Amino acid sequence: MMTEAEIRQKLREWVVRQSGKIRPEELADDTAIIEKRIIKSVRIPDLILFIEEHSGRTIDVEQLKPGVFRNIDTIYRNFFAVKADGPGPEKA
Amino acid sequence: MRLGCTVFICVHRWFHFVRFAEGVGAKMRGLSDLVGKLCEASVQDFYSPYAGLDWPEKLEDDAWYFSPELISLFGSEAYAHLDAQGQKRLSFHEAVNFFSLNIHGERSLIEGLAYRLYRKGNDDYTRYLHHFLDEENKHMVYFGTFCVRYAAKVYPDKKMVLPRDYAPGEEDFLFFAKVLIFEEIVDVYNKRMAADPRLHPIAREINRLHHRDESRHLAFGRRLVKELFDRHSPGWAPEVLSGVREYLGDYIRSTWQEYYNPAVYKDAGLPNPYDVQKEALSLPSCRSRHEQVSRPWLTMLLRQGILTEDPYHDD
Repeated sequence: MMTEAEIRQKLREWVVRQSGKIRPEELADDTAIIEKRIIKSVRIPDLILFIEEHSGRTIDVEQLKPGVFRNIDTIYRNFFAVKADGPGPEKA
Repeated sequence: MRLGCTVFICVHRWFHFVRFAEGVGAKMRGLSDLVGKLCEASVQDFYSPYAGLDWPEKLEDDAWYFSPELISLFGSEAYAHLDAQGQKRLSFHEAVNFFSLNIHGERSLIEGLAYRLYRKGNDDYTRYLHHFLDEENKHMVYFGTFCVRYAAKVYPDKKMVLPRDYAPGEEDFLFFAKVLIFEEIVDVYNKRMAADPRLHPIAREINRLHHRDESRHLAFGRRLVKELFDRHSPGWAPEVLSGVREYLGDYIRSTWQEYYNPAVYKDAGLPNPYDVQKEALSLPSCRSRHEQVSRPWLTMLLRQGILTEDPYHDD
């Protein structure tokens, strides 16, 4: 079971690796990764698989609001900070 | 002297504009001719997706539903460890994933085609969009029937469209270029599986039917994508053009990745489905399969200047 800090670190590493255009020190947990096009829409399926793998939960894309992927904070809050048997992702 | 230069520049620009407009006009006539032929072929080939397919009540376990060499895990350790029964079971789930990908691709295609019906600038090909829409809807009928009847599900779509601003013509170009890339890959799979005698007849027939319509859609897409690029890209800023090329490169990679679905591996009974996916995607045999399937249309896009970097020659 990963801690919150470990999950956030993994998410930051994923964003840096996938983007290829941002350095780790430039990425904060409130950096707007979609708005600044650090992560493009074409990478969203990869991100969803990454979240599913590490959260152990299946994501229903049809229920998602665009804001859930705004930054590391919103991703953590929507997909990891909810109980495994709790409701689906909250709104952004 | 200054006036003379200005006049010369104006005349020069006008001359280039006239040549460009003549070129566009000739290309539009070429597209219009093609559209006429494709419309005639679609009318001749009109069929009902509710007739002609012989749907078995139940599918037998001991059959192939996807050509083994096209299975995403072919060549991996995970695949080699499966017995013959397990490989055939995996082939069924791979077929359901392939048909699911087509359903989602066609759903967004239908949305995009409907949006473009009778819009200004699309006069030359709107009449073919009616056939395109009709045929895509039919494909969804038989892909959906297979998935729901035999797997009781369609694998969910993981894509999300995030709104953003586009340069003039960029959105239309990207829409049709993505459709073309998606359909080019699918068509190679369709042709191979339609001709594979090892496959269950219903799987072969669905692939055969799809290829029959797609050959027309591809002829249309190849012509239109080139034309939209030639028409709009001269007006794009360098960063827009490089962004378009980068996006298409990412789209090719992302489209291939959808063929490697951890949910498929889980349904086929494989342990650690995410690790299995990563192993398969890292295999040289997987990369060479992608390259081999992609090479003809990739060569075309490179030759046309739509792409400038070959995604398989980057290291």
